[in-house]
Amino acid sequence: MNQNKQLLMIDDDPDFVEGIKSILDSAGYSVDVTYNPKDGLQALKEKTYDLLLLDIMMGRGAEGIMIARKLRKDPKLREMPLLIITGIREQMAFLFPGEPVHPRFVAVDELVEKPVDPKLLLEKVSALISLSEARKSKAG
Amino acid sequence: MKTKPKILIIDDEEVVLDSCTLILEGGDYSVSTASNGTLGLEHVEGIQPDLVFVDLKMPGIPGIEVLERITEINPTIVTIVITGYATVTSAVEAMKKGAYDFLPKPFTPDEFRIITKRGLERRKLMLEAIALRKEKEILRENFAAIVSHELKSPLGAIQQNLYALSGELASILSENQLAKIERMKIRIDDLLKLINSWLRVYSVDITKIKDNFTTISVSSLLSKAIETIEPHAVRKDISLIQTIDESVSFIDGDEGSLVEALVNIIGNAVKYSYPGSKIKVNAIEKEGNVEISVIDSGVGIQEEELPNVLSDFFRGKTDQSGTDSHGIGLTISKRIIEAHDGSISVTSKANEGTTFMISIPSKIIEK
Repeated sequence: MNQNKQLLMIDDDPDFVEGIKSILDSAGYSVDVTYNPKDGLQALKEKTYDLLLLDIMMGRGAEGIMIARKLRKDPKLREMPLLIITGIREQMAFLFPGEPVHPRFVAVDELVEKPVDPKLLLEKVSALISLSEARKSKAG
Repeated sequence: MKTKPKILIIDDEEVVLDSCTLILEGGDYSVSTASNGTLGLEHVEGIQPDLVFVDLKMPGIPGIEVLERITEINPTIVTIVITGYATVTSAVEAMKKGAYDFLPKPFTPDEFRIITKRGLERRKLMLEAIALRKEKEILRENFAAIVSHELKSPLGAIQQNLYALSGELASILSENQLAKIERMKIRIDDLLKLINSWLRVYSVDITKIKDNFTTISVSSLLSKAIETIEPHAVRKDISLIQTIDESVSFIDGDEGSLVEALVNIIGNAVKYSYPGSKIKVNAIEKEGNVEISVIDSGVGIQEEELPNVLSDFFRGKTDQSGTDSHGIGLTISKRIIEAHDGSISVTSKANEGTTFMISIPSKIIEK
């Protein structure tokens, strides 16, 4: 039932990406992968995704934040659900003061810590997608 | 290139200035002089000397005041007073104001050379201490970044792939093989937890939890902590006995952190208790504070080890369960409790047991 769902993952650690992607693949999702913010943004322009899995700490710092900010400004992209996957939950508190777990960058988002338990990962992905769909049908 | 040590001499007697300059000549110093306190202080600001000699008795600003002002300008500048009336009182007063030493007049060239050398040595040590402190601070700050990126990321990637693999191979591998994968996951998980604890101690400013303080009920706090520990206690056949005095009500705090602190302390008691024994967790109201005590009758702590228990990386020698721990939990607990304006103390007797006492100001609820 997940076969028609298109996901995009932006993360600069190919090994980590492999671990996440194969769990999502097995669950029937179709997952595109980019390894840096630039390619990630390009992919978002070219295709419509049902969910974005985003790493925060990329490159020299929190480059993922830059993407999250861009999503928020874009009227179409900010409707796409976002699952932030970060290695450093402790530092998230500084990046989002007062919002340690729900970054609230876009309408539907959540944050999980690396590594992500497969069950939790699939739960979050499916929950975020349904939440976003429910929002859309309500709005439409 | 090494710069010459800078020495400033402040004295109203020209003969003193001249002879001192002469004595230090050829000693590879850069010597300046000033004939009164005002000029002297200008020099201090301008040249930032390493060592300043100050005559106590001068017209204009008195020597004692010059001393104080130098300390205000730069507390690492070493000052030595020259005094013509070498009384104990004036020397003591000067030392109180921060002078490093004093030199009674008249003095011999050798005495002057020796005291100069000692003063400069002192200055060098002070600067070194400051540099080391700074370095330590930088190390501490970088530690978080290094640990999280260089250790956590690869471990996270390994774990993620193990998760994926164990799912994919679930139907292919034998039970024995799957058990091996499970054990690998557990070991990596332990490592990740250890790294997170380090991060918590070294990078997170625990006082920041103050921004999220809410009114919390002590009984729900204790219940939550005990609930977490209960399975471990049951496994060792240890009973946790909770007594909360009626007068105990609320405190201001961050519930998550306080539960963490209590879990660490009660968990510690479980770890060092004998199977079949009891751990008492009591809460009472005392003089505006909520006092929570955790009393075990376990192995206890040797008297000489007691002062170290709440410091970084202490780990008791006799761990009853044989399980691994990183001796960092109690440090975190202490910091969490202190961030709540509270305190924690420990008393113990070897082979009799240990008591941890936590005290946190209670919240006055207006009715």
